[in-house]
Amino acid sequence: MATEIKSDRLKTDEMIINMGPQHPATHGVLRLILKLDGEIVRHVEPVLGHLHRAQEWQGQNRTWFQYQALIDRVDYLSGMFTSWALARASEHVDGTEVPERAEYLRVLASELNRISSHLLWLGTYLIDLGALYGFPFYPFREREKILTFLEEISGQRMMFNYIRIGGVQRDPKADWFKRVEAFTKEFPERVNEYEAIVTENPIFLDRTTGVGVLPKSLAMEYGVTGPSLRASGINYDLRRFKPYSVYDKLKFDVITFDKDGDTRDRYLARVREMRQSNEIIKQVIDMIPQGDIMAKTKKQNAGLRVKAGEGFAAVESPRGVLGCYVVSNGSDKPYRFRWRNPSFSNLSVLPPLLIDRPIADVMAIFGSLDIILPDVDR
Amino acid sequence: MFDWVEQLFRGIWQSIVGLYEIRRGLGTVAMHALRPPTTEVYPDIVPPLPAHFRGRLALTVNPETGEHLCISCRQCERVCPDKCIEITAHKSPETNKLELIDFKIDHGLCMFCGLCTEVCPTYCIINTNDFEMADYTRESLVYDLKKLTLTQEESAYYFDRKENPLPKPKPAKAAPAAQGAAPAAAGKAATAEKPAPAGAGQTAQTKAATEGESAKEAETKSPDAQVAPEAPPKLSNDEGKSDEAKPENESGEGPRQG
Repeated sequence: MATEIKSDRLKTDEMIINMGPQHPATHGVLRLILKLDGEIVRHVEPVLGHLHRAQEWQGQNRTWFQYQALIDRVDYLSGMFTSWALARASEHVDGTEVPERAEYLRVLASELNRISSHLLWLGTYLIDLGALYGFPFYPFREREKILTFLEEISGQRMMFNYIRIGGVQRDPKADWFKRVEAFTKEFPERVNEYEAIVTENPIFLDRTTGVGVLPKSLAMEYGVTGPSLRASGINYDLRRFKPYSVYDKLKFDVITFDKDGDTRDRYLARVREMRQSNEIIKQVIDMIPQGDIMAKTKKQNAGLRVKAGEGFAAVESPRGVLGCYVVSNGSDKPYRFRWRNPSFSNLSVLPPLLIDRPIADVMAIFGSLDIILPDVDR
Repeated sequence: MFDWVEQLFRGIWQSIVGLYEIRRGLGTVAMHALRPPTTEVYPDIVPPLPAHFRGRLALTVNPETGEHLCISCRQCERVCPDKCIEITAHKSPETNKLELIDFKIDHGLCMFCGLCTEVCPTYCIINTNDFEMADYTRESLVYDLKKLTLTQEESAYYFDRKENPLPKPKPAKAAPAAQGAAPAAAGKAATAEKPAPAGAGQTAQTKAATEGESAKEAETKSPDAQVAPEAPPKLSNDEGKSDEAKPENESGEGPRQG
């Protein structure tokens, strides 16, 4: 394996290279200032802020109803989770009881969204590693089906605005559940296909095994969460650790690994998480009760308000712990928002992982952390 | 000493395993040749879109009578996060009723959140399934009333697909009632002195009060709108709010009276 690099014989002057912001593999507009010694990265400085859109500030200048529609844009690959964090925090503030069917629908939609997010990550990650031909389209094929499901219930493919304060927006029809169920039956076979192509592929192994090893202590120091943390062997999943919604009624195990996670472990963690989400969806479809989908006290119109108070709530998004802190003064506009975005913490661990690695590994390591730049900059 | 032997055998073994794995991957890829294609020939075949797809905004008419459904309540204008909707309406001197003059939506600003369609009391503004809106200039993305209004057939199609309640009962039995209720509501808002027939008027007043808007403003503004044939195109929020209460009256009372 190409893990040991002997570079002392090839001492050269350090060269500064800007990777990004217009780089196809930086998943948005991340700029990395790399100091290179030959091919070896000696110093990394991520430059953030190219996508800063003042999402927190905008929240204070819009009504609750309007901000719900905007917040999907923070993490555009998993809009359900940002909506859910906002909804949970707001419901926590004024103690709204969400109907049970709405909770199940939230879990269902979110787990579908988690799969679609991981599928997109899988396709683009293989592009980052150089598998430009063919493969990225296989995950996108399944993602397309999931997005069609989500489009049907929410109205759009990515900017869902489906999970609302107090419930969900629309009740899907009975045949929608049947189609989702049919999809969950064929999906594990599709994951087997991806794994047959990728997991044991010698080129993939060469590029990923032992690359970007993230020790437990480092991961905890930097606040890494999500599959990247679990791949490093820490058993931390909010869905199990602090069960919210109806996750305590569902059967699933937290996916962890025994050793310090390298890039391949993070890949495996996400692939297994897709299978796990698939199982959760199956259970939810079996268990979903009939009933209301919106709390009686909440109305989805311009008069949507949240009682005065403050509250924090977090959800386990595909990228990690996504937290939302809300301060409400009881008016139609929120007083203050604070978001805890997983991508930001996950990105901050990048420099220690890249030091003394060849420049070819930069994208392999960066891609494996699954970062969404709008989520970093907000 | 025999490191090189070990390395040699390990290398050979790795090559065998690697070749097997590559063959497995390539085989999986090759099997895709036997499957039907999952792609669609887009411009020739338009993908089937769900009923609630949030596409281009449009205004429906009554599928049976062809009457425009917009009651100029400005709820959509008020709720729009991007402020891309611009409604021009005035009170007609004869009927003392709000008349829609123009309805402009800047689709270049619209973010297709669909909030306006959710608050519309008459299901007039809707998201169509049309998404092919590319154009050459920004100005041509501003759709006016004529461009926005759908035909009767299209309106019927969307009312059916979205399962929105048809405005049937209104023209059938409540058409005169609606007409009767509208002037009353309009007059009430205009003068703000008439005793409100229902709690709706009170809610309107309290709303106005909570939003820091005095009833005087509503009084002074609405006569202006009566006198001036055209309301100013850029309306302040105050007027939007004062008008906003009316549709609730109308939609709430119309069927009850009829």
